[in-house]
Amino acid sequence: MAIDSRTRSGLAVLAALAALTAGACVEVRDDSGGGDGGTVDGPLEIAVVPKAVGHEFWSTVRAGAECAAELAGDVTVEWDGVSAETDVEGQVNLIQNFVTQEVDGIVYAATDAAALAPATQHALDAGVPVAMIDSGTDPQPDEVPLYATDNRAGAVEAANLLAQALGEGEHDVALIEFQPGSQTNTERVEGFTEGLAQHGNLNLVGQQPSHSDVNEARRVTEDILTANPDLAGIFAANEPSVLGAAQAVEAAGKSGEVVIIGWDAAPDEIAGLRDGQIAALVVQNPFRMGFFGVQNMVEHLREGTPMTSADTGVTFVTRENIDSEEVQAVLEPSCDNPPVGQ
Amino acid sequence: MPVSRSPRPDPSATAATAVESVTGARDRFRESLREHLSSAVSEFTAATALIVLFVALSLASPHFLTADNLFNIGSQTAVIAIIAVAQTMIIITKGIDLSVGAVAALAGVVGAIVVRDLGFTVWEATAVAVGVGASAGLVNGLLIAGARLPPFIATLGMMSAGRGLVFIITGAVGVYSLPESFQLLGNGEIAGVPFAVAVTAAVALGSAFLLSQTRFGQYVYAMGSNMEAARRSGIAVRRHLTAVYVLAGALVGLGGMVAASRVNSGQPNYGIGLELDVIAAAVIGGASLFGGQGRIAGTLIGAFLIAVVRNGSVLLDISIHYQQVIVGLIIWAAVYFDQFRRRRLEARG
Repeated sequence: MAIDSRTRSGLAVLAALAALTAGACVEVRDDSGGGDGGTVDGPLEIAVVPKAVGHEFWSTVRAGAECAAELAGDVTVEWDGVSAETDVEGQVNLIQNFVTQEVDGIVYAATDAAALAPATQHALDAGVPVAMIDSGTDPQPDEVPLYATDNRAGAVEAANLLAQALGEGEHDVALIEFQPGSQTNTERVEGFTEGLAQHGNLNLVGQQPSHSDVNEARRVTEDILTANPDLAGIFAANEPSVLGAAQAVEAAGKSGEVVIIGWDAAPDEIAGLRDGQIAALVVQNPFRMGFFGVQNMVEHLREGTPMTSADTGVTFVTRENIDSEEVQAVLEPSCDNPPVGQ
Repeated sequence: MPVSRSPRPDPSATAATAVESVTGARDRFRESLREHLSSAVSEFTAATALIVLFVALSLASPHFLTADNLFNIGSQTAVIAIIAVAQTMIIITKGIDLSVGAVAALAGVVGAIVVRDLGFTVWEATAVAVGVGASAGLVNGLLIAGARLPPFIATLGMMSAGRGLVFIITGAVGVYSLPESFQLLGNGEIAGVPFAVAVTAAVALGSAFLLSQTRFGQYVYAMGSNMEAARRSGIAVRRHLTAVYVLAGALVGLGGMVAASRVNSGQPNYGIGLELDVIAAAVIGGASLFGGQGRIAGTLIGAFLIAVVRNGSVLLDISIHYQQVIVGLIIWAAVYFDQFRRRRLEARG
């Protein structure tokens, strides 16, 4: 992983150089602007940093961020991220580099709650306001808001959906988590097990991680199916986990027989839902995360409005409701009709 | 493994003769015998561990020794085995390839894109993926053999540049919406055998033949034993070393395509950390990072050992954290026993 951070630093240096050259003529920045009360006039440059690039989810966050920037006007989104969620150190460096680069604000999703807390503090100390999306830090300063999904509540509901789909009787179920140790993962795992506790007829017989790799998700699901021929249901907790689990179930010839409750809404997940391989998807609103993050940051910078946290909500998508207007606005977000109303 | 009957003339002798023409034939024979024995010893150690693990898992889980599970293990091992074979060739030349994960991802996403956007068949896409891998290998080879960069550095650069290219090409989003036929390579069957397993077997047999039965194979070992001696004995080192990286790159491209086909999508994040798995497989199987040693059979055993540990752990629902510790312990144990036995062999020799 050291390699990634090395690349990152290299790219950040290049980016910083580019910014210096470009900024030489435009950047007249009021250094008090980031602090409390002061406001910034003129064009804004806001860094938006996902946990990692490479997934549909984060591309939608980006679309939301860019939409808010476009609607606000005269705002540039600097989008950059590490290539693996596990590259915590790389993200720390990236945040520091954006502070050095003197962006007007940073909107980001922490790859690790504890490890990124000092990075947030460093930015605030340098007068760069921070807003968190998707995953916050621990501790999180009061002036830093979090625009995120309530993962725990969503996962409790996933357990309920699974229980509902399986009905009466004893059933063996499995959990495909993604990144043990990451906060989002922990919240979904805890929420799901909490939800399972409400349904005494569901027994958790397997729990393995995919490390957000479809190949690995497929492999562990195949092995869980081998070890538990009577497996009735699976909760897969993110996009690659869902895709790998669905493929393993299909390869075992058990499509539709093993109920899969998934999370997120990549195109192949939607296709799986329509085909009946996947029973339901817990869909977050990443567009809204990016949108809220940038929108509130811009208001804060221009008008001094304090930023306050908000739950960006989840939608439970099934074959029945997938074509409804409300669900489609979340699934196919566009800046013409942004799914950001409360 | 027939040890002393191997028809391959001892590779290190090819290099050694150039510098030590005074050494007696008897000594050379003894050295040759020792090299062969030590390769066999590593394979023996790893194979024993594999057998012990097989027996233990068969007792621990009623589901382990079933046709379905063995079928799964075969398919699950295919990609890592193909890429570990490539890594072995490079390790024998005293090199290392850190870029295999990134290049596999690059080949996989390019293979997926040409199917989705240009309507290529899966077989045409495989050819493209192999070409992508070979091109990356050519760059590695030219940097190492031509520009004389250390393999670690050259492939470190490729690891970074390759991953970057993957993100540029895909816009950092998975390549989806592929036709069903895209899965043939990774999920299809041929005469009841998973296609991926058949491909792996063909790659392994072909590579083993190349390394043990051809002049090119001799050169590979000779370069790894002593690059300078190989050069002085008239081997076109630059050309042959580059060729090794091109060939390995082509196999990595093939592996990346099998992986993409298996999950019916081009995954930009595929293969992060894969280089460590395949290096582990090669080392467990007896390849030496000091060059000149390593065989395909050993590497296959190493790859299976890792895959079986992972498979068994899931069957028994052992947490991932323990799985990683177990793989670490196996690497230590395999190399320790290996060196222990080699030392005994040398003491006797």
